[in-house]
Amino acid sequence: MTIKKYVSENKKEVTLSIEERFDFSLHQSFRNSYVNCEQQNTVFNIDLSNTSYMDSSALGMILLLKDHADKLQGNVVILKPSDSVNKILEIAQFHRLMTIEN
Amino acid sequence: MVEELDKRSHKLALVVDDSVMQCKVLSVLLEEEGYRVYTANDGIRGVDMYIKYQPDLVLMDINMPRMDGYEATRQIKSLSKGNLAPLIFITSIDTELAYIESIEAGGDGILVRPFSPEVFKAKIKSIQRISDLYAQVKMLQQSQQKDAELAEQLMSGVIEARNFGLDRIGIVKKAATLFSGDIQLTAQSPNGDVNVLLGDFTGHGLRSSIGAIPLSETFRVMTKKGFSLFEIITQINTQLFHLLPSDLFLAATFVHVSSQDKTVYIFNAGLPDCYIFSANGQIKQRIRSTHPPMGVLEYLLAESKLEIYSVQPKDHVVLVSDGIIEARNKKGEMYGEKRFEQAALKGVKKANLAEVIIEDVNEFSQNIPQEDDMSLIDIPCCDWQGQVYNNYQSRSDTLSALDVLSQTGPAWEWHLKLTGEKLAKINPIPMAMNQLQNIEGSGEHWQSLYTILTELYVNALDHGVLNLDSSIKDCAEGFADYFRKREERLELLLEGFVELSFYYYYSHSTNGHISIKIKDSGKGFSYADYVNPPLSKQAPILSGRGINLVLQLCDSLEYSDKGTTVEAKYAWA
Repeated sequence: MTIKKYVSENKKEVTLSIEERFDFSLHQSFRNSYVNCEQQNTVFNIDLSNTSYMDSSALGMILLLKDHADKLQGNVVILKPSDSVNKILEIAQFHRLMTIEN
Repeated sequence: MVEELDKRSHKLALVVDDSVMQCKVLSVLLEEEGYRVYTANDGIRGVDMYIKYQPDLVLMDINMPRMDGYEATRQIKSLSKGNLAPLIFITSIDTELAYIESIEAGGDGILVRPFSPEVFKAKIKSIQRISDLYAQVKMLQQSQQKDAELAEQLMSGVIEARNFGLDRIGIVKKAATLFSGDIQLTAQSPNGDVNVLLGDFTGHGLRSSIGAIPLSETFRVMTKKGFSLFEIITQINTQLFHLLPSDLFLAATFVHVSSQDKTVYIFNAGLPDCYIFSANGQIKQRIRSTHPPMGVLEYLLAESKLEIYSVQPKDHVVLVSDGIIEARNKKGEMYGEKRFEQAALKGVKKANLAEVIIEDVNEFSQNIPQEDDMSLIDIPCCDWQGQVYNNYQSRSDTLSALDVLSQTGPAWEWHLKLTGEKLAKINPIPMAMNQLQNIEGSGEHWQSLYTILTELYVNALDHGVLNLDSSIKDCAEGFADYFRKREERLELLLEGFVELSFYYYYSHSTNGHISIKIKDSGKGFSYADYVNPPLSKQAPILSGRGINLVLQLCDSLEYSDKGTTVEAKYAWA
């Protein structure tokens, strides 16, 4: 359970990639990974291609990130969720709130 | 908390060493550090003293008569589970093996002689720091546990205990060890229909149940006042949005069962599919989530609407939280929808769906600890209104008394005229019911009045103002078609009106009566067939089940102005 972070050279794009389980235990480290990004218009990508499980607190964390991105007039994009993770996003109807790229 | 620990004046230390001399030396050093010290000269005595005094620190020799230090340590550590009293080996055996064995026996550190008093004191301080930290974590854990217990008690004792119809609605609730905030609410609307909510708050413990109290109040009060389910959902969403932090929300499915209309209305916002099962366990409908959970968005999505389904009296609506679908077994497989559906088929046949499902999930997951709350609600689709109307008896003899009363004039009147756009946005029925209750207090007869008012108002709006033909509703798809057309026309509505009037008459001999008059701007209709249907046309032509119901409930019903005005009189003895 780790979060990897890549910041593009112009710092306009931050990619957080989550391995294995995305749940409450990542709360603090997920938050730490973006709170210091204060660049306007930043796009936050959440790469879920290596995430095997996600719970509702993970959905909550994504909403907090969205709040942060909104403040910077930025955006949140969810990348490549696996089938089981996608199902959870679908039940929560997250495609109505942000972009999900399969 | 740290201060509190520091203040505890004399900590206890236990020194276990067969050399009286060593005991003396260590005692002096410990006393200089503020400890009170007990000593024991062999392992057995050491264990006894440990049990007796529950010291905060143990110093242990290795070679001792009767029982050596390793064995004494194993026993002490097994006694002190969940309560870290650090144990340090003090020895002159300077070998790797001694070090490894000491740690394996449960020791928290080892100090090899000879050492200076300063080194000894430093060691004690460092180990004490760790144990203080441990005690803090322990305390936090306990307070968290208390919060979780409080939250659980709130949910089940205070909130859910007030649920309606529990003798007929099957509810399963099995909390995970880590309480996670599933909530089940049921309430009856004034006309006997039931509203049901299955919800799952994000997160754990008290944090997840903050929203439960306002949620249950809103749900219950609005249902009782006769607000439509959609209005309740809208209100709950707004309320939770303003109340909860961004990462806290409520995934929920809402159901309204109207057994009179043989219809259910469902809104799934963030829970797994819910189901309508037929009497033989077949899945008639699977209703997917179509909306983000409550409290995520400030306003419901523009296209949000209740899904409407026709049901048979023996159908069941079944709601499940993700805890059941996502339950895992030893191999890490999920219980999943397929197993759920198969078990449900069995459950319906045995007429005990809730229990069969839970047994099946338990068998599947065996002794794997639950990750999430599991809950399920099984709602039968029939006979909800029965209890409300059974005690009503027709009282034609009161009619003549009504006419006499009417001549003396009403004790009070209340009028409301809604026009154009307001008709599309406002539901006047809760307002009217509120007025009635404010003036006359509450009582059981309001349930009948609510039904009369609702049916007549809906007729005036739908058939009068919106000019909808109720024969569209005759087939199952027709129902949905009807509601779609209704929404379309409401959206475009700019003119037209509905006027509601109440006249309340008091009487000395009876409790009085009320006259409800509703006028609409429509073209009217040939009402003679409805009020006194010719024999040949009885029953089937009455797609207006509503009027039929009103006829049974009130003492008189009269249409006038070509059918654009209707007046219902209702009296209670």
